[in-house]
Amino acid sequence: MNEIEGWLLDLYPARDGGLTVWLLQQDAQGCVACHALKQSFPIVSYVSGEAPALRAVWRFLRRQPIQARLERCQRRDLFEAQPLTVLKIEVQRPDHHALLVRRLTQAFPDLTYYDLDLPLSLRHAARYGSFATARCHLTVDEDGVIQGWQTLDTPWEIDAPPAPLRSLYLEPDVDPAHAAPSQLTVRAARFSYRLALQPGRPFLLNLRAILRRHDPDLLLTRWGDTWLLPYLLQATQRLGIPLPLSRDPQRGVAFRPERSYFSYGQVIHRGRQAHLFGRWHIDIENAVLYHDYGLEGTLEMARVTSLPLQAAARLSPGSGISAMQIRTALQMGILVPWQKQQAELPKTALDLLASDQGGLVYQPLIGLHEQVAELDFVSMYPSIMARFNISPETIASAAHTQAAVAHLHPLSEASQPALIPQTLSPLLEKRLELKKRLVDLPPADPRRKRYQACASAHKWLLVTCFGYLGYRNARFGRIEAHEAVTAYGREALLRAKEAAEEQGFEVLHLYVDGLWVKKAGATQVADFEPLLEEIARRTGLPIALEGIYRWIAFLPSRQDERLAVPNRYFGVFQDGSLKVRGLELRRRDTPLWIAEVQQAILECLAEAPTAAAARQRLPLILQFVRAALSELKGGRVPPEKLLLAQKLSRELAAYRQPSPAARAARQLQALGKLRRPGQCVRFWYVCEDGGVQAWDSGVLPQPTTLDQGRYRELLLRAVSTLLQPFGIGEKRLRREIAAACPARPLSLWKLPDAGLAARPDSAVRPPAPPPH
Amino acid sequence: MGRTHPSITQTFLDEQGALARFRRALRRSDQLVFDDLFARAHQHLAAAAYASHALPLEVFLLAMLLEEHKEVQTLRQRLESLQPPSPQADE
Repeated sequence: MNEIEGWLLDLYPARDGGLTVWLLQQDAQGCVACHALKQSFPIVSYVSGEAPALRAVWRFLRRQPIQARLERCQRRDLFEAQPLTVLKIEVQRPDHHALLVRRLTQAFPDLTYYDLDLPLSLRHAARYGSFATARCHLTVDEDGVIQGWQTLDTPWEIDAPPAPLRSLYLEPDVDPAHAAPSQLTVRAARFSYRLALQPGRPFLLNLRAILRRHDPDLLLTRWGDTWLLPYLLQATQRLGIPLPLSRDPQRGVAFRPERSYFSYGQVIHRGRQAHLFGRWHIDIENAVLYHDYGLEGTLEMARVTSLPLQAAARLSPGSGISAMQIRTALQMGILVPWQKQQAELPKTALDLLASDQGGLVYQPLIGLHEQVAELDFVSMYPSIMARFNISPETIASAAHTQAAVAHLHPLSEASQPALIPQTLSPLLEKRLELKKRLVDLPPADPRRKRYQACASAHKWLLVTCFGYLGYRNARFGRIEAHEAVTAYGREALLRAKEAAEEQGFEVLHLYVDGLWVKKAGATQVADFEPLLEEIARRTGLPIALEGIYRWIAFLPSRQDERLAVPNRYFGVFQDGSLKVRGLELRRRDTPLWIAEVQQAILECLAEAPTAAAARQRLPLILQFVRAALSELKGGRVPPEKLLLAQKLSRELAAYRQPSPAARAARQLQALGKLRRPGQCVRFWYVCEDGGVQAWDSGVLPQPTTLDQGRYRELLLRAVSTLLQPFGIGEKRLRREIAAACPARPLSLWKLPDAGLAARPDSAVRPPAPPPH
Repeated sequence: MGRTHPSITQTFLDEQGALARFRRALRRSDQLVFDDLFARAHQHLAAAAYASHALPLEVFLLAMLLEEHKEVQTLRQRLESLQPPSPQADE
């Protein structure tokens, strides 16, 4: 027997039964190596039904060539009041389990099955506390079979010793969707090569040599899922040169097909996926939220969810939170339904009217306000679930929920927290601790970036856990629990409003988990402390001061300027930083040129210490806008800054009235470049050709063909959004802009001498530099 | 969530739309006042949603009334501040 320690890299079913476990080890000299080990890992699932049906299942399983250990026992289904009598089926080999349950569910489709289709890594995590990059102490026999397993750390540790990962970065010289790449950049910590893709033979031999010598644990690629790995596999087959992409010599590359799906009101496209064995592959172009939290965040996602890293990198946060709930259920001995049977409780129309509501969303007081504080409940909905013990099994009746909400009492007083609170609590605690540390860390501290990435990954998990509580197909979703969360949220926000008003604050806006308040004389953090304490006391939920604005402008609706809209505002905090919601510059369908003008104006306004000082900058800003417009008119705006991006919401053939994006996608289709629903199409507005010209159609538009009138309109609208709170609405803006641009022929006609002939042109130019 | 009955904003638009024939028959000047009444009621959408009343128009009418009374109060205060204090009131 050997005792070894290392970091868990990967585990999956082996071809010859049991598990293959890859462990990353570092010796005393610092040399890193990755070894494959084996582990026996029986798989358990359950069937429930009437006694005669279970007896029939028993007889059926006894006749099967794959043998299973059968046992009758009691287990808990979360949606049933009493424990169920179930038949436990234990299969020795993971690969046999899948075969056996397929036959079983075909033979007995009407029975209720549990724990049937759970990811292997979750079963392993529930039993051994394992997760990707977990530090493990293993007892291994002479044949490399693991006999004892001890996980030394938990996903909740903040400064766990990092695994000594070696990564290799692969990137083609051009996006394969636009043109055929000709080179591949291969980069690691100590070297960087450029390999020509043709001729194929030396390319593959070189790449193989690099893979063998460097033996990376992680292949980080761009377009690896969608282009590079399929390309490499084709080349190896054509030329007969094997390439060890996976570390496991018995395994190649596992592909999962591309798909488009609908989520949160958006169509999302995910490309084909390429998974490796014994080595990770992440395609940063196809990974979820990679732009947001990077590799650190992806690793954290895998740690806290116990999903394999390659899956965690490509799954939505919703699947992540679902995995965490399954792990908790397995640990608590709660059955995980295979296909959920539970339906919504019957309700009267009046019940629905009262219960089917979202968070409280006010209409803010339109206009410019000074010295405003924003107070936010910290992770409000998850905190509510954890504090008030909200979970599918703690829902009793509508009246019970109503009474509990009115007094802000927990839904259940049981000593052990329910499934959802138990899943969320450690995550919430870790996030709070990270936030606390981030406040105290000096800006240059190297841990800062990792902490931020982890906090961001947690944020996405916590944001989606609320939605999954109401999702009909989520295994532990229950609409009544979801509604209870919003009911608690409304009660807490109203209590916060009452506390603020009792302390003499004016409440300008309330938005689900935040409130904006002001009071004459309240300008410092200390002036708001008593309010924060009072709200925390009345609600029992953590609340924090997001910041104090020098000024903030709540904007009216685009359609009717008398109407306020909840989520369109911009303001400047006391430290000079900006907060912007619902403005054009945050939208992807805004050309960069317009976003930049808006950003420059915002920064110019933000530099002023008060709203009055900001107002004094308006002439300068108008001058800047005139200059920007004359740049457009003179064709001096680079075309790439005028590009717009819009998502396709359906298949091209399904458009009855094609949107600009669909018209652009048709142009691309004609060139053989296909775009799928959920993918972005970039285009320009032009004067002809149906009003748009697709980017990537091979030609750049000439400044004369661009629809300047349309871009001018877009700019003026974007600018008036910002200047409106300062008294310059859209009409006045147009007047101001037009006033300073005298019609040229008129001025020429009036000019008495030739010496002034150059003036009309220069009058259009701004005398002052742009505000930057 | 929000799938079993329309959102408060939609309800508001529906109620307003239900009065389209009434509005159409009003004089142009009255139409503008009518629109203004609804614009003011719109400020209280959150309260109307929280109330989840079975007859939302009643709540919107009350919201209009509330805004009208606010206006009356403001005007009364301004009027009082403009008037010189009457000698009888000093007794």
